[in-house]
Amino acid sequence: MAADFWASTQRRYWQFSKEQLAELRDKLDNEDKTLVQQCPLPDRRLLSHFFNTQLVKLGKRMPIRQQAIATAQVYIRRFYIKVPIRQTNPYIVMATALYLACKMEESPQHIRVVVGEASAVWSGSEHLPTKPSFADQQDVIPLDVSKLGEFEFYLISEMNSQLIVHHPYRTLQELQSTLNLAPDEISLAWSVINDHYMTDLPLLNPPHVIAVSAIFLALTLKPTQGGLQATIATAAALSNTPQLSKNTSSADNRAPDMTSNKVQNFVAWLAEGEVDIKAVVDCSQEIISLYEVLEQYKETTCKEQIAACMKKRGLV
Amino acid sequence: MSGPNNPPSAAATARLSVAQGSSLKRSVQAAFDESSDPKKMPANSYTSKVRVLDKYKVIGFISSGTYGRVYKAVGLNGQSGEFAIKKFKPDKEGEMIQYTGISQSACREMALCSELSHPNVINLVEIILEDKCIFMVFEYAEHDLLQIIQHHTQPTRHPIPASAIKSILFQLLNGLYYLHSSWVLHRDLKPANIMVTSRGEVRIGDLGLARLFYKPLHSLFNGDKVVVTIWYRAPELLLGSKHYTPAVDLWAVGCIFAELLSLRPIFKGEEAKLDNKKTVPFQRSQMQKIVDVLGLPTVEKWPNLVHHVDYGNLGHLTPLGPRLPPSENGRCAGLEAWYWNTLRTSNYEANLNAGTPGPQGLDLLSKLLEWDPAKRLTAEDALQHPYFSANGDKVSANCFEGMSAQYPHRRVSQDDNDIRTSSLPGTKRNGLPDDTFAGRPTKRLKD
Ligand SMILES: Nc1ncnc2c1ncn2[C@@H]1O[C@H](COP(=O)(O)OP(=O)(O)OP(=O)(O)O)[C@@H](O)[C@H]1O
Ligand SMILES: [Mg+2]
Repeated sequence: MAADFWASTQRRYWQFSKEQLAELRDKLDNEDKTLVQQCPLPDRRLLSHFFNTQLVKLGKRMPIRQQAIATAQVYIRRFYIKVPIRQTNPYIVMATALYLACKMEESPQHIRVVVGEASAVWSGSEHLPTKPSFADQQDVIPLDVSKLGEFEFYLISEMNSQLIVHHPYRTLQELQSTLNLAPDEISLAWSVINDHYMTDLPLLNPPHVIAVSAIFLALTLKPTQGGLQATIATAAALSNTPQLSKNTSSADNRAPDMTSNKVQNFVAWLAEGEVDIKAVVDCSQEIISLYEVLEQYKETTCKEQIAACMKKRGLV
Repeated sequence: MSGPNNPPSAAATARLSVAQGSSLKRSVQAAFDESSDPKKMPANSYTSKVRVLDKYKVIGFISSGTYGRVYKAVGLNGQSGEFAIKKFKPDKEGEMIQYTGISQSACREMALCSELSHPNVINLVEIILEDKCIFMVFEYAEHDLLQIIQHHTQPTRHPIPASAIKSILFQLLNGLYYLHSSWVLHRDLKPANIMVTSRGEVRIGDLGLARLFYKPLHSLFNGDKVVVTIWYRAPELLLGSKHYTPAVDLWAVGCIFAELLSLRPIFKGEEAKLDNKKTVPFQRSQMQKIVDVLGLPTVEKWPNLVHHVDYGNLGHLTPLGPRLPPSENGRCAGLEAWYWNTLRTSNYEANLNAGTPGPQGLDLLSKLLEWDPAKRLTAEDALQHPYFSANGDKVSANCFEGMSAQYPHRRVSQDDNDIRTSSLPGTKRNGLPDDTFAGRPTKRLKD
């Protein structure tokens, strides 16, 4: 499975344990404790959701693939474990990450286009009135070509020029036939993958584990299934007794409908031991709790807190 | 952590003294000094944590390529060894050097070189982003195949020993097999891009055009329109295929094999230039050169041939090559004739030291120069070819093994006066600066 991932810089330098991540972030916070106290920011997942929506908004104005947006999100997450977010203008970070990601994902956009569209999105009606020249404005993004170009150096340098990101989408496609997945299941899993970029999972797990978790969720979260509770129960059962689940898959005759068969096949396949079941369960739970957290999401809160933070730092 | 608000490092001062202590011409040094005055940096700007001149002493200029220039350097502060530093410069806007965004090609090269690690692929030491320039620091390779081929044409033509060719080819294929199994297409294999260290190790270099080819998320149609220097360009690309595969690299290996034997490019066509209409013209001259040796391709041998945009143009080519040097009995057709003729004129049989690549060499060559990309040998299969195992020979990991003669060192020049004007990435190169083979074609559109 994705043989190339094992030798990749992603696996060697950009996979962490939860503890390692926490430590890295604590270190950043400790660089300027008062600033952290004075400038509260939303829960990281909410903030990530904000970034995600902003990137999608920007991406919609150019022909950009989902994968470029995914890569941009990974870049941002990597960057912010090396640089305190409060010392940056997140809008510049987002625009630059997307610009670079487009080049790496083979759908390059001219730097002027990215700058132009970013300015249009972020200095438009939603934030502040549009003006052709925004240098003198209180804009969230005092962006020009050379600023973005310069920030690109910063971003690449913090990532040690390790720009190739392996995504779960490929594994999803590879498993499509193995697991006999229907189009609606694929597309559900696909959107779960899209969503996982709002969590730390890309820094915690290899892409195939995430793909398998997304399939797992897609199969069990489908409206016909028992929903969230059932999923969690299955997950828990799986993580505790992988041996048992193998037996159930062959012996269980209570649920003859197609999807359940699929779930059983999937469970049987999991039990073959190609993937770390414990990691799959953890991932699935992480994604489920993301969906719970996102219920509190308010775009304005994110926007305001970021703005206040930048103002404090004189970054506007 | 040197965030955008941190003052530039004090190391800059130390660096100056190193620079002044050297006996170099100002100009070479200047290439690394431009706009590096830390005092000019606005407060809110990017500053590199590492300075190239703190770590390396530049000792001369090697070559200028499409995107920048390559310098030779030695390590400082206990870092021993020699290095090749490839410098990418940003575009100039008027007088000011500005950040204009890094070219996609440089991004790919940085990213891919950071991932790859193999004894037959050039080793990247580090990348330094400093003063609007990108410095890619590579291990230094004393030779490249272009230079080795040239050396054998002077003062008179004398063949590259068959055992050396075998070793070179094996190492090249080994590196290529690694690239392909890492989903990387090189797309620009040619003698100048294949380095050889002084220990006779082959290193595939110049990944500026390389790309990942796994699908379906990476469509390979967009982006660069012209790929691979024309003499090494595979027939499917010449016929307008947009669906290229690792097989394009193996065609190039075939061309390089032939060139190592004959010391001349086997298919030395002239490039039809892109006109303003932006339509890619049919590369008639190049195609004719191939047909001159291989004859016309047929649908029986290459079923997909008919699906190529320029299939119709094949009819305009001359079927058999009148320009092919006649062999002894006056026949001139086919790769076989070319091969035996080449061995004879290159003195492979007469020259005992050189040995001979023999009939297995021909078999391998014909399977690399296979019209149909689907039938062309893969790197993996090529490595298994009897050419490498016949006669119980073992292939040496040092292509110079057993050779008495030494190749001259890479030319390193101190005259680099035009550094400020000629190294802009947008400037299209005309002819290689490594001049002896003037007229080697260029490719590459800047993306
Ligand atoms: N590691 C190295 N050691 C020694 N010389 C090198 C090294 N890398 C590159 N060179 C020299 O510099 C030349 C240009 O390098 P390279 O091919 O990487 O640059 P480019 O600008 O991408 O290429 P091109 O000439 O194909 O446009 C090479 O042909 C070779 O002569
Ligand atoms: Mg080159």
